[in-house]
Amino acid sequence: MPSEETKERIVKVVELGRTALHYGWIPFIIYVGFTRSNPQPSLIMLISPLA
Amino acid sequence: MASIDEKPAPPPAPPSPPVPVVATSYFNPISPFFNAYDRFASWRRDLGLPHPGSVESLGKEVKATHLSTYIFDGARADITKTFSMNPLFQATHSFALGSQTAPPSYNFTAIYATPSVFMQGGVDHEGNVNGRFNRGWSPNNVTKFHAQFSQQVGHNMIQAEQEYQGADFNVNLKAINPWPTDLTGIYVGSYLQSFTKNLALGVESVFQRPTPDTSEQITSYLARYTSSDKSWIATTQLQGAGVMTATYWQKLSERVEAAAELQVVATPTRRDAIATLGAKYDLRAASFKAQLDSTGKVSALLEQRFTPTFSFLVAGEIDHFKNAAKVGVGVMIEGTSLTPEEMGYPPEMQ
Repeated sequence: MPSEETKERIVKVVELGRTALHYGWIPFIIYVGFTRSNPQPSLIMLISPLA
Repeated sequence: MASIDEKPAPPPAPPSPPVPVVATSYFNPISPFFNAYDRFASWRRDLGLPHPGSVESLGKEVKATHLSTYIFDGARADITKTFSMNPLFQATHSFALGSQTAPPSYNFTAIYATPSVFMQGGVDHEGNVNGRFNRGWSPNNVTKFHAQFSQQVGHNMIQAEQEYQGADFNVNLKAINPWPTDLTGIYVGSYLQSFTKNLALGVESVFQRPTPDTSEQITSYLARYTSSDKSWIATTQLQGAGVMTATYWQKLSERVEAAAELQVVATPTRRDAIATLGAKYDLRAASFKAQLDSTGKVSALLEQRFTPTFSFLVAGEIDHFKNAAKVGVGVMIEGTSLTPEEMGYPPEMQ
């Protein structure tokens, strides 16, 4: 059984990872897609639904 | 180029007396088991059993024919933009308005996919994020993650899944919201095995552990019968708590499919049954689905594709018992910055 200190640390790490994924997951996909696309799209087309 | 440290070619080995391989093996004491396993494996291979599909997709033909998952009301617009085909990278803006059941919403989805990696992320106007990540280690071994993040407490979810597809079986292990320190969460394991060319039987077990002290296990049994020419499929799922689902799907012709589903709940506190009958017509530029169920609902959905990039949807549902009706209209626009050649179409398509 892990100690209370370890448990608290795990809670902190999970919470941090959750927050990072919450705000970073979609930017990460857009970044990966944008840099690896062939041909590379322009940035304005990425953001706007109409362009 | 010959370097100094290169070893000289070894002299030809003197002819050694033939040594029986089995006699020198460390596995000699257990080789009867290996032999039996090899014989069993080759016998199993000779049967030529088909892959049964996964437990999750047991009734996927029925779900694709019925419109329960496709029906909507109010107005809807989906604008999809494809930036790249290989690797696939596309973004979708979805707008929904005027629904009786759901508030107006906006949703942005981005998808990036290569043959071995699939990533999807969606965010709605309230800031709720859902994401999927699939990684295929080999064509038959896939790890999947699915997560939902929300500002509200209690709406967060993470699911890790490992799926292995054998030649004639399918194994799937899932963990939903596992917590590392006390191992609470929901764990699901399923196994589906083909027994003949037509029949596949399986078992799915759900192990729930909401707190470290309480746990509950529910096992359900599954069967799927596919006709030899794959023109009809019957499935049944029997859950331990007295819930049974039976489905039947038939391909009536090249463009017409029909499906029936019966759901029976027979527990001491509740006895209930719902039957659903549906049909799907795939026309050249349109797809029409109609459905009738025993709760008095009649619904239909028409998807008309005017050009390859623009389609129009009309959905309607009448609840005869409650005297209520729902109507939905939607547009789906697919834009791309690619030329037809880059999309992989022959040039005369446009």
